[in-house]
Amino acid sequence: MDPFIYLLPSALNQKKLQKTLPDTPPYKISYGQDEQQEGVLLDTFDAEVFQSAKILFQHGDMLLLIDLQSGRLLQQAAPETWSFAGDLPVGPVTAFLQQLSKLRAFLPVASVGLCRLHGLLLDDEGKTRARLHHLTICHGRKSVGIGITEYLRGYRKAHDDLRHSLERIGAISCQSVGQVYRVLAIKQGKYTAKPVIELHPEAPVKDTTRTIISVFLQTARANEKGLVDDYDTEFLHDYRVSLRKVRSVLSLFTGVYSPEETAQLKKDFSSLMQKTNALRDLDVYLLNKLHYFSLVPADTHEGLAILFDYLAEQRKKEHSDVIKVMRSKSYRKEIGRLEKIFTNGSNLATGPKAEEHSMAFACRLICKRYDKVCKIARDIDAQTEDGAIHQLRINCKKLRYLMEFFTPLFPEDEIVSLIKALKILQDNLGNFNDYSVQQTSLRHILQEKMSEFGSAKLKVAESVGALTAILHRLQKKERRQVMKNFARFDSPETRAAFTKLFHTPQIEEGVDENNSLLQ
Amino acid sequence: MKIIACYSNKGGVGKTATSVNLAYASALEGRRTLLCDLDPQGASGFYFRVKPSKKLQNKAFFKDVKGFLNAIRASDFDNLDLLPANLTYRDFDIFLSRMNNSRSRLKKALREVDSDYDVVILDCPPNISLLSENVFKTADKIVVPVIPTTLSVRTFEQLNGFFKENEYQRKKLLPFFSMVQKSKTLHKDTMVALRKKYKSLLKNYVPFSTEIEKMGVHRAPVLTYAGKDFAAKAYQDIWHEIEKKIQTK
Repeated sequence: MDPFIYLLPSALNQKKLQKTLPDTPPYKISYGQDEQQEGVLLDTFDAEVFQSAKILFQHGDMLLLIDLQSGRLLQQAAPETWSFAGDLPVGPVTAFLQQLSKLRAFLPVASVGLCRLHGLLLDDEGKTRARLHHLTICHGRKSVGIGITEYLRGYRKAHDDLRHSLERIGAISCQSVGQVYRVLAIKQGKYTAKPVIELHPEAPVKDTTRTIISVFLQTARANEKGLVDDYDTEFLHDYRVSLRKVRSVLSLFTGVYSPEETAQLKKDFSSLMQKTNALRDLDVYLLNKLHYFSLVPADTHEGLAILFDYLAEQRKKEHSDVIKVMRSKSYRKEIGRLEKIFTNGSNLATGPKAEEHSMAFACRLICKRYDKVCKIARDIDAQTEDGAIHQLRINCKKLRYLMEFFTPLFPEDEIVSLIKALKILQDNLGNFNDYSVQQTSLRHILQEKMSEFGSAKLKVAESVGALTAILHRLQKKERRQVMKNFARFDSPETRAAFTKLFHTPQIEEGVDENNSLLQ
Repeated sequence: MKIIACYSNKGGVGKTATSVNLAYASALEGRRTLLCDLDPQGASGFYFRVKPSKKLQNKAFFKDVKGFLNAIRASDFDNLDLLPANLTYRDFDIFLSRMNNSRSRLKKALREVDSDYDVVILDCPPNISLLSENVFKTADKIVVPVIPTTLSVRTFEQLNGFFKENEYQRKKLLPFFSMVQKSKTLHKDTMVALRKKYKSLLKNYVPFSTEIEKMGVHRAPVLTYAGKDFAAKAYQDIWHEIEKKIQTK
């Protein structure tokens, strides 16, 4: 039986609740109340707790999680200061938070006052027939009660009686965290790494391009503060992904802007991104620390630990350099300028395709890229050079970006299922590339940085050698999967779905002469 | 799901106290536990403040799945539910004797709750009857409280003999000493003698304790109000011994 999850705008009047209960059986509610405590409401920057219909509080060294979907109330001890799910001791809240996000920091959303009340609905024998968990939350001058009733097997009527009595004193069903935030006047975090962009199929593609770039620029900028404050590595990751998307739009949407304009903009965005390249590389290393340790034999761990201490130190330096850049006048001026360009867009020199309908433009580009992916992949066999695999990866990524940019123009479930089909192949190619990049940077350490390690040089070199060998083996393993994954992606169903979705009348009539998909 | 019966063919040996406290100890370990009160006097239900089931008459127990499931009541403790007794259980035997496969009916009835519980504890009435034969057949282990006195030991030996004669698995029997008064020489001597004879006797024993007698006043398992009492701890230790033998996880 489902619990009654409710919101009570006024304070819980215990006498009134008792009075509204039926006379038979002779019920009595026994209460236990905690003292009011100061606490804090927590969530990730992208509001993952909120999105999953849960509310997370910390008061003192206790964590409290309310699940508005299941009516479960989880509680566990926690250190007074922590950031990541991985910092917490084993417990029910930790298990849930780890599932939600291992990379994001849980940050304070609002200071709150909390007061917990437990009620037992007892019969004349003193047997508990239903339970009540009630929490009064105060924020500033506002307050609200959230409660959950608990059904006990075999006592359905008692649970119903309790629910009806609560409704009689003003409790209403609570289905979303938004309801709670509104009553308490807590501002809801709006950030998402994947913003929904409204696009029109017949709008000139220059307008669509401007909209897409503008949204991604805003997304990048939304991460600046978190990046500087260094709450977690996802701020930098999202910042870079958004800027990379802007750059991809510029290079993939050929003909929207004049070649000179495109080249200049690409250069501007590349130079913005370059400033954070080294920091991201170090983040990736440090995030994979445990994984790397698990890959190599235990006798090389000592050297690896020295290497990671060095990388952590490097990261600190690199981060303070990035802070300087982000706070610099020149950076703020430059990003402000680019933002402004795409907000009004009138100063941009357009190209020959600028006026084309967005839908036709999207279909043409996606079909062309899909063909290219298939062409490269079909020529790959066990003997093909790694260079072709890299080409396939780059083209798959471009295809994925194109499909994602134009998602709002197509039926969502159809395009999303095609993106999913592509994703398996892409993950495979991504791993292949990551292993390759990691080997290169380890080689770089061996060749250029060994003097930094003094007497530990030999130990570090041994560990780097062991790790490189493993990464090489893993890369080979990924390489062997590519053909199999492409064959899965290249199924008749996927081919038919691509044709159906991106096949426009203009293309059929031969407007696009290059579209070999239909030839 | 493992089925543990708490049984003795002699009354007053601490059977219901054992059922209630073992069930509580099992639930405390996080095992979803159902305590089935098969004794028409309904003492287990009394200890948990659960009123006797009006609807679950013996017919329903063995034939009406829905009725059986509906009669289950949550106790006040996590992971612990109770199937309260009904006065008509007095007629279990007559009823069972009229049914086909009358010795395996209980197993069939309990199958209905197989996915809901990890452990079912049966609090059985003190006699050898068709119902108890159902219990002997169905249970994975049969916990038998034995007071270290001549009469109580004799009853256990009778039970052992009955198992042998009727070819029930004697290894299911897990006797343990109950209501032990170490100050009495008789108790001490009997324990030593019986331990030599029956290797299956559990290592832990439950001493005589006024705290256990107070269960009727508190109407709750002894561990909830006298957790430090030696007897309360003994039930927990006995449960751990049983747990090793049934390996529910």
